[in-house]
Amino acid sequence: MKIKYNSEILAGFIFSLVAAVLFLLIPSEIQTLETTATNAQTIPRIALAGLFIFSFLLLLQGLFLLPKKELVFGEELYASRDFKDSVRSLVYIAIIVVYVFLFKMLGFIASNIYLVFAILLYYGTKKKSYYAIALFVSAIVYLIFTLVLNISMP
Amino acid sequence: MELLVSGLDLLLNWQILLAIPLGLTLGIIVGAIPGLTSDLGIILCIPLTYTMEPTLAILILLAIYVGGTYGGSITAILINTPGTSANAATLFDGYPMTQKGEAFKALSMALYASTIGGLISAFVLLFAAPPIAKVTLLFGPAEYLALAVFGLSVIAGVSNDNIFKGLIGACIGIFVSTIGLDNISGMVRFTFDNIHLRRGIDLIIALIGLFAISEILMKSKYNPRLDRKIVDPSSITRCTVTKEEYRRCRKPISLGTIIGVIIGATPGTGGGLAAFIAYNQIKQSSKHPETFGKGEIEGVAVSESANNAACGGTMIPMLTLGVPGDGATAILMGAFMVHGLVPGPMLFKEQGNILYAIMLGLIIINISLWFVGKFFTRFYAHITRIPFELLSCIVLIFCTAGAYSTNNSLYDVYYIYIFGIIAYYLRRMNFQLVPILLGIVLGPLAETNFRRALILSDGSLSIFVTRPISLGFLLIAFSSIVIFTAKSFASKKVPKE
Repeated sequence: MKIKYNSEILAGFIFSLVAAVLFLLIPSEIQTLETTATNAQTIPRIALAGLFIFSFLLLLQGLFLLPKKELVFGEELYASRDFKDSVRSLVYIAIIVVYVFLFKMLGFIASNIYLVFAILLYYGTKKKSYYAIALFVSAIVYLIFTLVLNISMP
Repeated sequence: MELLVSGLDLLLNWQILLAIPLGLTLGIIVGAIPGLTSDLGIILCIPLTYTMEPTLAILILLAIYVGGTYGGSITAILINTPGTSANAATLFDGYPMTQKGEAFKALSMALYASTIGGLISAFVLLFAAPPIAKVTLLFGPAEYLALAVFGLSVIAGVSNDNIFKGLIGACIGIFVSTIGLDNISGMVRFTFDNIHLRRGIDLIIALIGLFAISEILMKSKYNPRLDRKIVDPSSITRCTVTKEEYRRCRKPISLGTIIGVIIGATPGTGGGLAAFIAYNQIKQSSKHPETFGKGEIEGVAVSESANNAACGGTMIPMLTLGVPGDGATAILMGAFMVHGLVPGPMLFKEQGNILYAIMLGLIIINISLWFVGKFFTRFYAHITRIPFELLSCIVLIFCTAGAYSTNNSLYDVYYIYIFGIIAYYLRRMNFQLVPILLGIVLGPLAETNFRRALILSDGSLSIFVTRPISLGFLLIAFSSIVIFTAKSFASKKVPKE
């Protein structure tokens, strides 16, 4: 299977859709009692209408004016550097998502221990000193925020 | 004069005089590390300044900005990779000088030119900003709205040659700025019944997510074995700049400074563009243009004086009109707002002493840059050895702590990562983030004054076109957007075979 696309088509389509949905949600999400010519809904309406119009124009530009990339699903694609980089970035995002959940459940220190190990292993780091430095910095940041700035970290 | 003295009084205390070298050091380090920028340095340090006096806080951040702009030249000269986009033109002659064994000479000239350029632009800011601010005090809601629109038109210059992407970014930013409680009607907007969204999205949260998190995600494809560049400390020999070379560089530095200030003061441009224009000008007017690009010291002098002169230049529209000159000043403008200082006409009237302290402080920052830069020259090779994998951990830890400390809320931590992931995909689709930031910063100003102006005019839109200053700003804004749109279409057309 192969598809032809460019980033303009992708972005134009996504943002047109998002803008249309949010625009339709305005009456339920902004319930105003104002009777003046402009009210709390005015600027969100202008911003979302603008978002829709410009996204649609971007979509048209991508469809008719700009060159498209051809994406062929198969062995060649899966072996390409671009594909591998995209998968790597998804792994990185997954590490961050788990970190955010751990931050809520276990607090600052424990979640940072996870983060340091996860990120350094992700980059294939073998040097123990890097782990020690990152954990040391994490402890210093904790102390600065709790003792110097008087912020109670979770 | 009274404000100047009171500003000087505010400035001369030991904390500030200690903080400036510290900020410069941080800025130089951040600028010198490939992959980190002065923008990121400013963002990471904003949460640390929450408890500080506004003058102290802003001067530290300004020192990071100035130090970072100079620091970017170090990697440009040593490893052919500019630390920030403002230093791209320094590559042309800086790296060839290193290849010729003149790295120390190039670094010394970069420091000298940066100091002179930055210092002169700081004086221009001090003398030019107050008269402009006096004129802007006459502004009403219609002019403020026009100013906000004018500020948003900056997106035309920073949209990566696709104006639609810039306009989409601005609309997203304005929309994000409307989330939460509406200050005028007291109604909630787009909170989806989530009580934590009622106070809206803090500017600093958006900044950390948009710039810092997305930057780290952009480097997720970094491969320590293939992508790392290290400098051998022995390559920085003691080959100094001669008197004759200093004399020869007078003209490039003067030209670079003038162009830097003018370009910097033009919204939507910035130090990178200033450096390229200045470099091109000096090359064209040179008696030996063939030496440029092959290790010509004048090339380093002109580009470094231009990008540091732009630092002061970008502050002129930011402080007087509330219109940021480039991405870094948009972030700085956010920092001003975090500390209760709203850049724009009223700032001179209401907090003039703080403003004078900041403008005078910029002069001290640029003088200190010389000494701090001199001291650090011997360590530059070591700065570039800091591994990115370690830095990414540290930056993420700082971002999380900074976001949480903003309101002691876990939701802010969620928001930075949501913003960061969205911004990462936007950047992969060649979107610039500055338009989003401009929308968030200028959206509330535009909305409040739009609604006030319409109340004053009984709902008639004519108020925006019948007042000359307002009409002038709107015309400039729309014409710049139209010109860039036309250019964008012309350059993107697929040529017929």
